[in-house]
Amino acid sequence: MMQRRTFLAASLAVLAGTAVLGWRLWPQGRQPLLLSARDNAAGEHFAVAYSLSGEQLFATQVTERCHDVCMHPFLPLAVFVGRRPSIESYLIDLQTGQLLQTFSTPSNRHFQGHAVFDARGERLYSTENDTDQPGRGVIGVWQLDATQRLQRATELSSHGVGPHQLLWLPDGETLVVANGGIRTESGSREELNLDAMEPSLVLMNTTGECLSKEELADPMNSIRHLAVASDGTVIAVQQYQGGMQERIDLLAVKRPGQAFAVFPVAEQQRSSMQQYAASVAIHAELRLVAMTAPRGGRVFIWDLDSAELRLDAPFRDCAGVAASEQGFVVTTGVGRCRAYDCRAATIRMQPLNLPAGLWDNHALLV
Amino acid sequence: MLKKLVYALAGVSLLACSSSDDPYQQSSAALGEQVLYRAHQQWQASNQQLVNSAKEFCQGEQNLAQTRDDFLQAQHAWAALQPLLIGPLNEGNRTWQVQFWPDKKNLVARQVKQFLKANPEPTLADLQRGSVVVQGLSAYEYLVFDPEIDLADAAQKQRYCPLLQQVAVHQQQLADDVVSQWQGQDGMLAQLTDFPNQRYAEPLEALTAILQAQVISLDGLKKKLGTPLGRSDKNIAQPYQAQSWRSQASLSNLSAEIESALALWQGVDTHSLRSLLAAEHADLVKQIDAAYLQAQQELAAFKQPLTALLADEQQRQALFTLYDSFDRLHRLHEKEVARALGVQLGFNAHDGD
Repeated sequence: MMQRRTFLAASLAVLAGTAVLGWRLWPQGRQPLLLSARDNAAGEHFAVAYSLSGEQLFATQVTERCHDVCMHPFLPLAVFVGRRPSIESYLIDLQTGQLLQTFSTPSNRHFQGHAVFDARGERLYSTENDTDQPGRGVIGVWQLDATQRLQRATELSSHGVGPHQLLWLPDGETLVVANGGIRTESGSREELNLDAMEPSLVLMNTTGECLSKEELADPMNSIRHLAVASDGTVIAVQQYQGGMQERIDLLAVKRPGQAFAVFPVAEQQRSSMQQYAASVAIHAELRLVAMTAPRGGRVFIWDLDSAELRLDAPFRDCAGVAASEQGFVVTTGVGRCRAYDCRAATIRMQPLNLPAGLWDNHALLV
Repeated sequence: MLKKLVYALAGVSLLACSSSDDPYQQSSAALGEQVLYRAHQQWQASNQQLVNSAKEFCQGEQNLAQTRDDFLQAQHAWAALQPLLIGPLNEGNRTWQVQFWPDKKNLVARQVKQFLKANPEPTLADLQRGSVVVQGLSAYEYLVFDPEIDLADAAQKQRYCPLLQQVAVHQQQLADDVVSQWQGQDGMLAQLTDFPNQRYAEPLEALTAILQAQVISLDGLKKKLGTPLGRSDKNIAQPYQAQSWRSQASLSNLSAEIESALALWQGVDTHSLRSLLAAEHADLVKQIDAAYLQAQQELAAFKQPLTALLADEQQRQALFTLYDSFDRLHRLHEKEVARALGVQLGFNAHDGD
C-alpha cells in the first residue's frame, strides 16, 4: 500500500509538473514581482504583489496584519504569515491573488510572523509561541496536501524563547532559527521578561534535533531577523531592548564552521540604528548584505566578506529589503520604495513607482 | 571606504515635482530655509555662547548667575528644535548627546560622578569616548544647577570646570557639524528644496518628514508634562521626572516647543502646512489655530516653575487642562493634518517587529 507521505509527494510532483508546464507568474522579460504585506490608509490589511514598475498583480484583503511572505519552491503559492500575535496566516494563489486558505494555529499557539517551505514543497515550518508556557518557542510543521491545503502535522521545539525568523541553510535540511528571547502571552505583544531575556541562534534539523545554540554578549539584544548566503554564512540582526545610551552591536554573523560573532560595524553606523534593525537580505552573487533601520531612518549595505561599508543612506521608515538582480529593493512605510543598483563601485539609487507607504516589515522578490 | 551614493534620476512623474510652482515644493523649501535652518543656526549660536560662557566662568571672569542664564539660552534653543528634528540632527545618536531624558534612574548624576572619578581632568576625547549621558546639556545642567554642587565654592569649581568646558565644546562641535550638513549642494537645505534627491523622492515626502517631526514633538509635550504630573503613576506627582527640573526650565522648554511647532504650522509668507490646507480644509485650519492659541495662553498663565505648580492642587488641575490642550494639538496634527495631506506618518519605525 502506498504510504501517505509517498502519496503526497507523488501528488505534489503531479502538481509540480503542471506548474512547470502551465505556470508562469509573470511573462518573461517583465520585471520581478514584489510580494509584501501592506495596509491601506484605513488600516485594512492586504497581501499584495506588484511588479517593480508599479503594476499591481493583486491586493488581497486579509483579516490580520501580516509580516513575512514565503514562496512555495515550485508551485504558484505563497504564505503571508500573520504578524505576532496573530493566530492566522494566509495561503495565496500567486497567479490570481485568490485567498486559497486561511489557516490557524492550535488554540494555545500564535504565529510569530515567519515561515518557510521546505525544498520539496511538502511542508511549511512556522515560528510560533506556546501561550501555555509564554515564550516557549515552537516550530509549527504544516503538511501541504494534494488539494493545496496546509494541515497541521506536528511541531518541534525552537530550543529557545520567542522564536522570530527562521530560514534554511543551503543544505535544505538545516533550519537556522532566531530566538528573540522575549516572552509574550496570548494575544499580546507586551514583553514579560526584559530583565531575563534569553535570545539565541539555533541550528536544528527537521526532526527537531538541536545542532547548535549560541548567544550574544548582551541578553537584552533580541535576535530577530536573518539572511543566509549561498555558502551558508548567516547574518542575524538584532533589536536591543535596553537604553539608547548603551553601545550595542546589532549585526552578528555565523560563518560556516565558525562561532556566532559580532559583524563589525563602525560607530557612526551603529549609533545611527537607534538600537533597532528591521530586515536584512544578502545578495548571493555580489556578496553584499543590506539592512534597514527604520527608527534611525537609514539603509545600509556592507560587503559580506570584508564588512566594508558600501552604503549608508537616509531612508525614512525603511522596512523590507530583498535582493534583486541589480542589488536590493527596499520598501518603506511612509514614502516611495527604492531600488539600489550595486553592480558598480558606486551604488545608484532610484525611487520606484510603487504605491507610496504602508509597506510592512518584509519584502520578497520573485 | 564608503562609496558616494549617486542619485539616479527617477521617472518623468518625479521630475515634474521639482517645478517651482509646486506648492509642496515651495512650502518645503520655505520652511526649510526660514524655520528649520534658522532654528539650527540659533542653536549653533547658543552653543558658541555656551563655550565662551563656560570658559569665562572657569577663568573667574563671569559669575554663576550669568553662566546659568547662558545655559538656559542653549537649553531654550535646543527645546525650540524639537518640532524641527529632521535630517542630520535626528540621525545617529546626536539628540542623545544633547539631552538625556527621561532619566528615571538619575543616571545623569550617577554617571557624571563616575566619569569624573575615572577622568578627574577630562579631555574632549575622554568625554567623547564616554557615555552620551555625560556629554550634553543634561550633564551641564547638573553641574551648574544641582543642589549637590556648589560652584561658588572654589574647590568644587576647580573640580567640575574641566568637564563643564568640555561639555560646552562638545555641544559646539556637534552643532557646527550638524549645521554644516545643512549647507552645500547636497546638504539638508538643498534636499528640502530640489527634488528628487537622495533623501526625498518628491516634495510631499519632505513635508511628511516635517509633519512627522512636528507630531513627534507634540506627542513628546504630553510625555514631558504627563510624566511629572504622574499620569501613568496614579496621578502622583513626580517632579524629579520632569525634563530640566534642576534648572526649573520645564515650562519654558514646553513654550519653546509650542512656538516652533506653530512656526511650522504658520510658515512664512504663504508657504506653510497651514496654507496647503487653507483652501479645502478651512474648518480644520480654524481648529488648529484655536488649539495653538489656547495652549499658548494656558502656558503663559503659569507664573511659577513646574515643581511649585505640582505642589498646588489647583495649579495641578490647570496642568491637566494644559495636557488636554497638548493632546488636542497632537491629535489634530497626527490624524487630521496627515489625512488632509494624504500622507502616512509612520508605520514600521514605531510599530515594527
